[in-house]
Amino acid sequence: MFPGATADRDAASYVVVGAPLDATTTFQPGTRFGPDRVRRFSETYDDYDRRTDSHFSALGVHDAGDVAPWDDTREYLDHLAAELRSVVLDGAIPLALGGEHTVTYAGVEAVTPDTLVVVDAHLDLRAEYAGNPWNHACVTRHALDVVDRAVIVGARTGSPEEWDRAAEDDVEVVAPEDARGWLDDLDPGRFADGSTYLSVDVDGVDPGFAPGTGTMEPFGLHPREVRDLVRTVAPHAEGFDVVEVNDRDDGQAAALGGKLLREFVHSHAAGSSA
Amino acid sequence: MPREQKQVRELQEGSYVMMDDSPCKINHYSTAKPGKHGSAKARVEGKGVFDEKKRSLSQPVDAKVWVPIIERKQGQVVSVSGDDAQVMDLDTYETFTMRIPEGEDFSSDDTIEYLEYEGQRKVVG
Repeated sequence: MFPGATADRDAASYVVVGAPLDATTTFQPGTRFGPDRVRRFSETYDDYDRRTDSHFSALGVHDAGDVAPWDDTREYLDHLAAELRSVVLDGAIPLALGGEHTVTYAGVEAVTPDTLVVVDAHLDLRAEYAGNPWNHACVTRHALDVVDRAVIVGARTGSPEEWDRAAEDDVEVVAPEDARGWLDDLDPGRFADGSTYLSVDVDGVDPGFAPGTGTMEPFGLHPREVRDLVRTVAPHAEGFDVVEVNDRDDGQAAALGGKLLREFVHSHAAGSSA
Repeated sequence: MPREQKQVRELQEGSYVMMDDSPCKINHYSTAKPGKHGSAKARVEGKGVFDEKKRSLSQPVDAKVWVPIIERKQGQVVSVSGDDAQVMDLDTYETFTMRIPEGEDFSSDDTIEYLEYEGQRKVVG
Protein backbone atom coordinates (compact mmCIF):
# COMPACT_ATOMS: atom_id res chain seq x y z
CA MET A 1 0.00 0.00 0.00
CA PHE A 2 1.20 3.52 -0.76
CA PRO A 3 1.89 5.08 2.67
CA GLY A 4 -1.07 7.17 3.77
CA ALA A 5 -3.41 5.75 1.11
CA THR A 6 -5.82 4.63 3.79
CA ALA A 7 -9.19 5.55 2.27
CA ASP A 8 -11.69 2.89 1.23
CA ARG A 9 -12.19 2.62 -2.50
CA ASP A 10 -15.82 3.70 -2.28
CA ALA A 11 -14.92 6.90 -0.43
CA ALA A 12 -11.71 7.66 -2.35
CA SER A 13 -10.99 10.87 -4.19
CA TYR A 14 -7.70 9.48 -5.53
CA VAL A 15 -6.89 5.88 -6.46
CA VAL A 16 -3.33 4.59 -6.81
CA VAL A 17 -3.03 1.81 -9.38
CA GLY A 18 0.26 0.02 -9.91
CA ALA A 19 1.03 -0.89 -13.52
CA PRO A 20 4.33 -2.81 -13.39
CA LEU A 21 4.71 -3.27 -17.13
CA ASP A 22 8.25 -4.19 -18.15
CA ALA A 23 7.77 -5.55 -21.65
CA THR A 24 9.49 -3.15 -24.05
CA THR A 25 12.21 -1.49 -21.95
CA THR A 26 15.09 -0.97 -24.32
CA PHE A 27 18.20 -0.70 -22.15
CA GLN A 28 18.02 -1.43 -18.45
CA PRO A 29 14.88 -3.31 -17.42
CA GLY A 30 13.34 -3.29 -13.96
CA THR A 31 10.18 -1.19 -14.25
CA ARG A 32 8.29 -4.26 -13.05
CA PHE A 33 9.61 -3.29 -9.61
CA GLY A 34 8.61 0.37 -9.98
CA PRO A 35 5.26 0.48 -8.17
CA ASP A 36 6.42 -1.40 -5.09
CA ARG A 37 9.66 0.53 -4.99
CA VAL A 38 7.85 3.87 -5.11
CA ARG A 39 5.58 2.69 -2.30
CA ARG A 40 8.55 1.53 -0.23
CA PHE A 41 10.60 4.69 -0.61
CA SER A 42 7.59 6.83 0.26
CA GLU A 43 7.42 5.40 3.77
CA THR A 44 9.63 8.09 5.25
CA TYR A 45 7.52 11.06 4.22
CA ASP A 46 5.61 13.04 6.83
CA ASP A 47 1.88 12.79 6.54
CA TYR A 48 1.61 16.55 6.99
CA ASP A 49 2.34 18.96 4.13
CA ARG A 50 3.03 22.41 5.48
CA ARG A 51 2.64 24.29 2.19
CA THR A 52 -0.95 23.17 1.72
CA ASP A 53 -1.65 22.65 5.45
CA SER A 54 -3.04 19.20 4.74
CA HIS A 55 -2.45 15.61 5.83
CA PHE A 56 -1.98 13.16 2.98
CA SER A 57 -3.96 10.47 4.82
CA ALA A 58 -6.92 12.85 5.11
CA LEU A 59 -7.17 13.49 1.37
CA GLY A 60 -9.00 10.29 0.45
CA VAL A 61 -6.28 8.28 -1.27
CA HIS A 62 -6.86 4.57 -1.85
CA ASP A 63 -4.29 2.08 -3.14
CA ALA A 64 -5.97 -0.47 -5.39
CA GLY A 65 -2.79 -2.53 -5.72
CA ASP A 66 -1.27 -3.56 -9.03
CA VAL A 67 -2.79 -4.61 -12.33
CA ALA A 68 -0.31 -7.34 -13.14
CA PRO A 69 0.75 -7.36 -16.79
CA TRP A 70 0.99 -10.24 -19.21
CA ASP A 71 2.71 -10.85 -22.54
CA ASP A 72 0.20 -9.15 -24.85
CA THR A 73 1.00 -5.48 -24.20
CA ARG A 74 -1.85 -4.08 -26.30
CA GLU A 75 -4.39 -6.30 -24.57
CA TYR A 76 -2.93 -5.36 -21.19
CA LEU A 77 -3.24 -1.65 -21.96
CA ASP A 78 -6.88 -2.16 -22.92
CA HIS A 79 -7.57 -3.87 -19.59
CA LEU A 80 -5.55 -1.31 -17.62
CA ALA A 81 -7.49 1.50 -19.30
CA ALA A 82 -10.73 -0.11 -18.17
CA GLU A 83 -9.41 -0.37 -14.61
CA LEU A 84 -8.41 3.30 -14.63
CA ARG A 85 -11.69 4.28 -16.29
CA SER A 86 -13.55 2.69 -13.39
CA VAL A 87 -11.76 5.18 -11.13
CA VAL A 88 -12.90 8.02 -13.38
CA LEU A 89 -16.48 6.67 -13.40
CA ASP A 90 -16.39 6.73 -9.60
CA GLY A 91 -15.54 10.44 -9.76
CA ALA A 92 -11.99 9.92 -8.49
CA ILE A 93 -8.58 10.74 -9.91
CA PRO A 94 -6.42 7.84 -11.14
CA LEU A 95 -2.78 7.88 -9.99
CA ALA A 96 -0.86 5.27 -11.95
CA LEU A 97 2.54 3.98 -10.89
CA GLY A 98 4.58 2.50 -13.72
CA GLY A 99 5.89 0.47 -15.13
CA GLU A 100 7.29 1.55 -18.41
CA HIS A 101 5.99 4.73 -20.04
CA THR A 102 3.67 2.73 -22.32
CA VAL A 103 1.15 2.58 -19.45
CA THR A 104 0.48 6.30 -19.86
CA TYR A 105 -1.56 5.44 -22.94
CA ALA A 106 -4.02 3.54 -20.74
CA GLY A 107 -4.30 6.54 -18.43
CA VAL A 108 -4.90 8.88 -21.34
CA GLU A 109 -7.49 6.51 -22.80
CA ALA A 110 -9.28 6.37 -19.44
CA VAL A 111 -9.32 10.11 -18.83
CA THR A 112 -9.61 11.29 -22.49
CA PRO A 113 -8.06 14.68 -21.70
CA ASP A 114 -7.63 17.57 -24.09
CA THR A 115 -3.99 18.04 -23.15
CA LEU A 116 -1.19 15.73 -22.10
CA VAL A 117 1.57 17.39 -20.10
CA VAL A 118 4.51 15.04 -19.93
CA VAL A 119 7.88 15.26 -18.24
CA ASP A 120 10.30 13.23 -20.33
CA ALA A 121 13.89 13.20 -21.54
CA HIS A 122 12.67 11.60 -24.75
CA LEU A 123 10.11 12.79 -27.25
CA ASP A 124 8.52 9.31 -27.40
CA LEU A 125 7.04 10.30 -30.75
CA ARG A 126 8.25 7.28 -32.71
CA ALA A 127 5.80 5.40 -34.92
CA GLU A 128 7.56 2.20 -33.89
CA TYR A 129 10.74 1.08 -32.20
CA ALA A 130 12.47 -2.20 -33.03
CA GLY A 131 9.39 -3.10 -35.07
CA ASN A 132 7.00 -2.60 -32.16
CA PRO A 133 4.48 0.27 -32.39
CA TRP A 134 3.63 -0.22 -28.69
CA ASN A 135 7.20 0.19 -27.49
CA HIS A 136 7.66 2.72 -24.68
CA ALA A 137 9.42 5.05 -27.14
CA CYS A 138 6.08 5.56 -28.97
CA VAL A 139 3.75 6.47 -26.12
CA THR A 140 3.37 10.22 -26.71
CA ARG A 141 2.67 9.62 -30.40
CA HIS A 142 -0.13 7.21 -29.45
CA ALA A 143 -1.44 9.66 -26.86
CA LEU A 144 -1.79 12.27 -29.63
CA ASP A 145 -4.46 10.01 -31.17
CA VAL A 146 -6.54 10.80 -28.07
CA VAL A 147 -5.45 14.27 -26.91
CA ASP A 148 -5.50 17.51 -28.87
CA ARG A 149 -2.14 18.70 -27.60
CA ALA A 150 1.00 17.42 -25.90
CA VAL A 151 3.44 19.56 -23.92
CA ILE A 152 6.73 17.73 -23.42
CA VAL A 153 8.85 19.28 -20.69
CA GLY A 154 12.49 18.27 -20.37
CA ALA A 155 12.86 16.63 -23.78
CA ARG A 156 16.43 16.60 -24.98
CA THR A 157 16.70 13.72 -27.41
CA GLY A 158 14.88 12.09 -30.30
CA SER A 159 15.22 10.87 -33.86
CA PRO A 160 14.99 13.31 -36.81
CA GLU A 161 11.47 11.99 -37.53
CA GLU A 162 10.47 12.65 -33.93
CA TRP A 163 11.75 16.22 -34.03
CA ASP A 164 9.77 16.72 -37.26
CA ARG A 165 6.62 15.44 -35.53
CA ALA A 166 7.39 17.65 -32.51
CA ALA A 167 7.50 20.69 -34.81
CA GLU A 168 3.80 20.29 -35.62
CA ASP A 169 1.20 22.54 -34.04
CA ASP A 170 -0.16 20.01 -31.57
CA VAL A 171 3.18 19.49 -29.80
CA GLU A 172 5.11 21.90 -27.60
CA VAL A 173 8.60 21.00 -26.42
CA VAL A 174 10.24 22.73 -23.47
CA ALA A 175 13.98 21.98 -23.26
CA PRO A 176 15.50 21.43 -19.81
CA GLU A 177 17.50 24.66 -20.02
CA ASP A 178 14.30 26.59 -20.78
CA ALA A 179 12.14 24.88 -18.16
CA ARG A 180 12.74 27.29 -15.27
CA GLY A 181 11.91 30.37 -17.33
CA TRP A 182 8.92 28.62 -18.91
CA LEU A 183 7.64 27.68 -15.45
CA ASP A 184 8.17 31.18 -14.05
CA ASP A 185 6.20 32.64 -16.97
CA LEU A 186 3.52 29.94 -16.93
CA ASP A 187 0.03 31.29 -16.45
CA PRO A 188 -1.44 29.15 -13.64
CA GLY A 189 -4.77 29.24 -15.47
CA ARG A 190 -3.34 27.93 -18.70
CA PHE A 191 -4.59 24.40 -18.02
CA ALA A 192 -7.84 25.50 -16.38
CA ASP A 193 -9.82 25.28 -19.61
CA GLY A 194 -10.33 21.73 -20.77
CA SER A 195 -8.95 18.63 -19.15
CA THR A 196 -5.33 17.68 -18.60
CA TYR A 197 -3.44 14.50 -17.87
CA LEU A 198 0.00 14.80 -16.26
CA SER A 199 2.63 12.13 -16.79
CA VAL A 200 6.05 12.15 -15.14
CA ASP A 201 8.64 9.93 -16.78
CA VAL A 202 11.32 10.01 -14.13
CA ASP A 203 14.05 10.05 -16.80
CA GLY A 204 13.01 13.63 -17.57
CA VAL A 205 14.89 14.49 -14.40
CA ASP A 206 18.67 14.52 -14.64
CA PRO A 207 20.01 11.00 -14.03
CA GLY A 208 22.21 12.40 -11.27
CA PHE A 209 19.03 12.83 -9.24
CA ALA A 210 17.11 9.77 -10.49
CA PRO A 211 19.46 7.09 -11.75
CA GLY A 212 16.97 4.27 -11.24
CA THR A 213 15.50 4.38 -14.71
CA GLY A 214 15.99 2.42 -17.91
CA THR A 215 17.32 4.97 -20.39
CA MET A 216 19.27 7.66 -18.57
CA GLU A 217 19.79 10.89 -20.50
CA PRO A 218 22.18 13.52 -19.09
CA PHE A 219 21.52 17.28 -18.87
CA GLY A 220 18.03 16.92 -17.48
CA LEU A 221 15.56 18.72 -15.29
CA HIS A 222 16.10 19.45 -11.62
CA PRO A 223 13.68 17.86 -9.17
CA ARG A 224 12.42 21.24 -7.96
CA GLU A 225 11.52 22.19 -11.53
CA VAL A 226 9.40 19.06 -11.88
CA ARG A 227 7.90 19.68 -8.45
CA ASP A 228 6.86 23.19 -9.50
CA LEU A 229 5.38 21.89 -12.73
CA VAL A 230 3.36 19.32 -10.78
CA ARG A 231 2.16 21.99 -8.36
CA THR A 232 1.05 24.21 -11.25
CA VAL A 233 -0.69 21.58 -13.35
CA ALA A 234 -2.16 19.35 -10.61
CA PRO A 235 -5.16 21.56 -9.69
CA HIS A 236 -6.40 21.25 -13.28
CA ALA A 237 -5.41 17.63 -13.96
CA GLU A 238 -7.81 14.68 -14.12
CA GLY A 239 -5.18 11.97 -14.12
CA PHE A 240 -1.55 11.48 -13.14
CA ASP A 241 1.21 8.95 -13.41
CA VAL A 242 4.84 8.41 -12.48
CA VAL A 243 6.58 5.97 -14.79
CA GLU A 244 9.91 4.41 -15.73
CA VAL A 245 11.14 3.96 -12.14
CA ASN A 246 13.22 0.81 -11.80
CA ASP A 247 15.29 -0.81 -9.06
CA ARG A 248 18.79 0.03 -10.34
CA ASP A 249 19.68 2.70 -7.81
CA ASP A 250 19.53 3.20 -4.06
CA GLY A 251 15.96 4.47 -4.20
CA GLN A 252 16.55 7.97 -5.52
CA ALA A 253 14.20 7.63 -8.51
CA ALA A 254 11.51 5.91 -6.45
CA ALA A 255 11.78 8.47 -3.65
CA LEU A 256 11.35 11.27 -6.18
CA GLY A 257 8.44 9.51 -7.87
CA GLY A 258 6.64 8.98 -4.57
CA LYS A 259 7.22 12.56 -3.48
CA LEU A 260 5.89 13.90 -6.78
CA LEU A 261 2.76 11.75 -6.41
CA ARG A 262 2.21 13.25 -2.97
CA GLU A 263 2.83 16.75 -4.35
CA PHE A 264 0.21 16.08 -7.00
CA VAL A 265 -2.40 14.99 -4.46
CA HIS A 266 -1.73 17.86 -2.02
CA SER A 267 -1.78 20.41 -4.84
CA HIS A 268 -4.84 18.96 -6.55
CA ALA A 269 -6.77 18.82 -3.28
CA ALA A 270 -5.77 22.38 -2.39
CA GLY A 271 -6.66 23.58 -5.86
CA SER A 272 -9.99 21.79 -5.85
CA SER A 273 -11.00 23.28 -2.54
CA ALA A 274 -9.66 26.73 -3.35
CA MET B 1 -37.99 -11.08 -11.57
CA PRO B 2 -37.07 -11.32 -15.29
CA ARG B 3 -33.40 -12.05 -14.76
CA GLU B 4 -31.05 -15.01 -14.56
CA GLN B 5 -27.73 -15.77 -12.94
CA LYS B 6 -24.67 -16.33 -15.05
CA GLN B 7 -20.95 -16.60 -14.43
CA VAL B 8 -18.95 -13.51 -15.28
CA ARG B 9 -16.97 -15.54 -17.84
CA GLU B 10 -20.20 -15.98 -19.85
CA LEU B 11 -20.64 -12.24 -20.37
CA GLN B 12 -19.62 -10.61 -23.63
CA GLU B 13 -19.66 -7.23 -25.29
CA GLY B 14 -23.13 -6.46 -26.58
CA SER B 15 -24.91 -8.58 -23.96
CA TYR B 16 -26.61 -7.34 -20.79
CA VAL B 17 -25.71 -7.42 -17.10
CA MET B 18 -27.12 -5.86 -13.94
CA MET B 19 -24.87 -3.20 -12.41
CA ASP B 20 -26.01 -1.18 -9.38
CA ASP B 21 -29.46 -2.77 -9.84
CA SER B 22 -29.71 -1.30 -13.34
CA PRO B 23 -29.74 -3.28 -16.57
CA CYS B 24 -26.69 -2.31 -18.62
CA LYS B 25 -25.45 -3.16 -22.09
CA ILE B 26 -21.82 -4.30 -21.99
CA ASN B 27 -19.43 -2.27 -24.14
CA HIS B 28 -16.14 -3.53 -22.70
CA TYR B 29 -15.13 -6.90 -21.33
CA SER B 30 -11.54 -7.79 -20.54
CA THR B 31 -9.91 -10.36 -18.31
CA ALA B 32 -6.68 -9.98 -16.38
CA LYS B 33 -4.28 -12.85 -16.95
CA PRO B 34 -2.89 -13.80 -13.55
CA GLY B 35 0.45 -15.50 -13.13
CA LYS B 36 1.08 -17.79 -10.20
CA HIS B 37 -1.06 -15.83 -7.78
CA GLY B 38 -4.57 -14.47 -7.82
CA SER B 39 -7.59 -15.51 -9.79
CA ALA B 40 -8.60 -14.27 -13.20
CA LYS B 41 -10.66 -11.14 -12.77
CA ALA B 42 -12.83 -9.56 -15.39
CA ARG B 43 -13.44 -5.86 -15.84
CA VAL B 44 -16.87 -5.19 -17.30
CA GLU B 45 -18.02 -1.79 -18.49
CA GLY B 46 -21.51 -0.96 -19.60
CA LYS B 47 -24.10 1.71 -20.13
CA GLY B 48 -27.52 1.74 -18.51
CA VAL B 49 -30.12 0.63 -21.02
CA PHE B 50 -32.70 3.06 -19.70
CA ASP B 51 -30.65 5.74 -17.92
CA GLU B 52 -27.57 5.66 -20.23
CA LYS B 53 -25.29 5.99 -17.18
CA LYS B 54 -21.83 4.43 -17.58
CA ARG B 55 -21.01 1.76 -15.00
CA SER B 56 -18.17 -0.63 -14.33
CA LEU B 57 -17.65 -3.79 -12.31
CA SER B 58 -14.74 -6.08 -11.50
CA GLN B 59 -15.36 -9.67 -10.43
CA PRO B 60 -13.58 -13.02 -10.60
CA VAL B 61 -14.61 -14.79 -13.80
CA ASP B 62 -16.30 -17.57 -11.84
CA ALA B 63 -18.43 -15.15 -9.77
CA LYS B 64 -22.16 -15.10 -10.36
CA VAL B 65 -23.87 -11.98 -11.65
CA TRP B 66 -27.44 -11.20 -12.55
CA VAL B 67 -28.30 -10.83 -16.20
CA PRO B 68 -31.55 -9.04 -17.01
CA ILE B 69 -33.90 -10.68 -19.48
CA ILE B 70 -34.81 -7.71 -21.63
CA GLU B 71 -37.60 -8.29 -24.08
CA ARG B 72 -37.49 -6.85 -27.57
CA LYS B 73 -41.05 -6.11 -28.56
CA GLN B 74 -43.07 -4.56 -31.34
CA GLY B 75 -45.75 -1.94 -30.92
CA GLN B 76 -47.99 0.20 -33.03
CA VAL B 77 -48.33 3.93 -32.52
CA VAL B 78 -51.99 4.65 -31.81
CA SER B 79 -51.73 8.41 -31.44
CA VAL B 80 -49.20 11.19 -30.87
CA SER B 81 -49.67 14.02 -28.41
CA GLY B 82 -46.75 16.47 -28.13
CA ASP B 83 -43.69 14.54 -26.93
CA ASP B 84 -45.72 11.47 -25.94
CA ALA B 85 -47.10 8.62 -27.99
CA GLN B 86 -49.80 6.09 -27.21
CA VAL B 87 -48.44 2.73 -28.23
CA MET B 88 -50.16 -0.67 -28.44
CA ASP B 89 -48.11 -3.80 -27.88
CA LEU B 90 -48.65 -6.02 -30.92
CA ASP B 91 -48.45 -9.23 -28.86
CA THR B 92 -50.56 -8.39 -25.83
CA TYR B 93 -52.56 -5.47 -27.24
CA GLU B 94 -51.74 -3.59 -24.03
CA THR B 95 -51.76 0.14 -24.58
CA PHE B 96 -49.33 2.48 -22.84
CA THR B 97 -47.88 5.95 -23.14
CA MET B 98 -44.20 6.46 -23.87
CA ARG B 99 -42.00 9.49 -24.37
CA ILE B 100 -40.92 9.93 -28.00
CA PRO B 101 -37.11 9.82 -28.09
CA GLU B 102 -35.35 12.95 -29.25
CA GLY B 103 -34.76 12.87 -32.98
CA GLU B 104 -37.51 10.29 -33.61
CA ASP B 105 -40.59 11.17 -35.59
CA PHE B 106 -43.67 9.09 -34.69
CA SER B 107 -46.94 9.04 -36.61
CA SER B 108 -50.13 7.06 -36.06
CA ASP B 109 -49.96 3.48 -37.34
CA ASP B 110 -46.12 3.43 -37.29
CA THR B 111 -44.71 0.13 -36.11
CA ILE B 112 -41.87 0.55 -33.61
CA GLU B 113 -39.47 -1.76 -31.83
CA TYR B 114 -38.78 -1.26 -28.14
CA LEU B 115 -36.97 -2.87 -25.23
CA GLU B 116 -38.94 -3.65 -22.08
CA TYR B 117 -37.69 -4.57 -18.63
CA GLU B 118 -39.74 -4.36 -15.44
CA GLY B 119 -42.05 -1.68 -16.77
CA GLN B 120 -39.27 0.39 -18.31
CA ARG B 121 -39.39 0.81 -22.05
CA LYS B 122 -36.97 2.23 -24.58
CA VAL B 123 -37.40 2.61 -28.30
CA VAL B 124 -34.78 0.81 -30.36
CA GLY B 125 -33.30 3.51 -32.56
